[in-house]
Amino acid sequence: MKHHVLLDNLFGFDRPDSPGQRAFAVLFELFVLYWVVAYAWSWAWYIQRTEDVVLPLGVARYIDLSFMFNGVAPKLNAALMTLFAVVGVLRLWRGAWLACLLSFHLQYTARFCLGEISHGSNLIGLVVLGFGIAGVAFVNRNHARRFAIGFTYFFVGLGYTTAAICKLVATGLTWVNGRHLWLWVAERRVDMYSTAATFDYTFVQSLAIDSHLAATLILVFGLVAEAFGWAIWFRRSRPFAMALLIAMHLGIIWSMGISFTSNTWLLVLLAYPWARLIDRTVGRTSDVARQIVSPHGGVLTQE
Amino acid sequence: MSLLVTTHEGEFWPFSIFPMFSRGGHPWIRSHVRQVELRPGVAVWATSSDLYTLPGSPYPLREAGVNQNDIANFLFKTDSWSGRRVNAMRALFGSDLESQNLMIYRVDGSLDETGSVNVVATPFLLLTPDSTHFNPRLEYPGR
Repeated sequence: MKHHVLLDNLFGFDRPDSPGQRAFAVLFELFVLYWVVAYAWSWAWYIQRTEDVVLPLGVARYIDLSFMFNGVAPKLNAALMTLFAVVGVLRLWRGAWLACLLSFHLQYTARFCLGEISHGSNLIGLVVLGFGIAGVAFVNRNHARRFAIGFTYFFVGLGYTTAAICKLVATGLTWVNGRHLWLWVAERRVDMYSTAATFDYTFVQSLAIDSHLAATLILVFGLVAEAFGWAIWFRRSRPFAMALLIAMHLGIIWSMGISFTSNTWLLVLLAYPWARLIDRTVGRTSDVARQIVSPHGGVLTQE
Repeated sequence: MSLLVTTHEGEFWPFSIFPMFSRGGHPWIRSHVRQVELRPGVAVWATSSDLYTLPGSPYPLREAGVNQNDIANFLFKTDSWSGRRVNAMRALFGSDLESQNLMIYRVDGSLDETGSVNVVATPFLLLTPDSTHFNPRLEYPGR
């Protein structure tokens, strides 16, 4: 039976497994574990300063979050997030990543109830959801792994593509007008001056402010990079589409001073065929080992 | 997923339909916190278009461990300035408020007809060690 092209590109359930893919999956899961723990504990400390809910997010519309503001509950919840994530990585309980997601959601609503909606943790949360669904829906570990990674590709592509569409709907093609970047740079100037009590324009900010054309071209690049987000869904175009998005995030760091660290590193991890690189490296090492054992052995080639 | 976000004002983490910077040229509101000394003759409630010439010195939020986004959003998303809400704002600054006065400015940014950027800082809340003062020229919802 011929499989759907998109599903094959996202998940590739029928593709042969390799040591490189297994090693990459472990690396990917450890990366997510790191960010879950980092968010859990940094938010736990910040929540201690909170005394009221300005913006009830998610479950905060149904439960009174004040129990999270006593100093103990956010740390307890952080410990639960950490525990569930570790159990998920070690495959000790199939529902662990979903349980982690619930704790993660509660921690998020308590941390960002002061009015701010944070975007930085969304991708990590989506991956945790992908791990969670994979854990309960697939018995075959190879399939579970491929589902979680394919699920992430899908939502990363969808997220960036819809972001471009929203810009066109909310503003239109004039979104790329360089004056809009001037206004955002002024906004960031207030933020950075308030945060650090000092502010200096970066090279990119100076360039954008001095040249309307340069500011417009920076925005054109950002919009084009996001508009091609759907190309992440396809294996061949994935490295190019994600490279554009990584460049866009570097541009956001230099022009706006906003660094989506976990988001950008996730893109770097998913953009390139690291699994194939690991297989080739392992293959070369094996070749050398074989030739040392048998100098007249033939040269082995990877597929 | 669509059901969750549409029934929760566009946000049910990890799902969100709020893209950043989607409204080009749209005016923004931010905040700025300064350490001020209350002396006779200092016009604490005066607005300014230059953050660098405001009375006092900037209160570095990073050193204080406070997130700038939280202060800014707290200001313009609060729909009722109740006593509890004011205390929640004060709690963000912790023990720093025991020994100094902090003025929280509301900063408005917009593009004018010529395409130039205008920024105006308006004193919004004055937090002193023992009390909180509202700008007498402004109206506050729920107060």
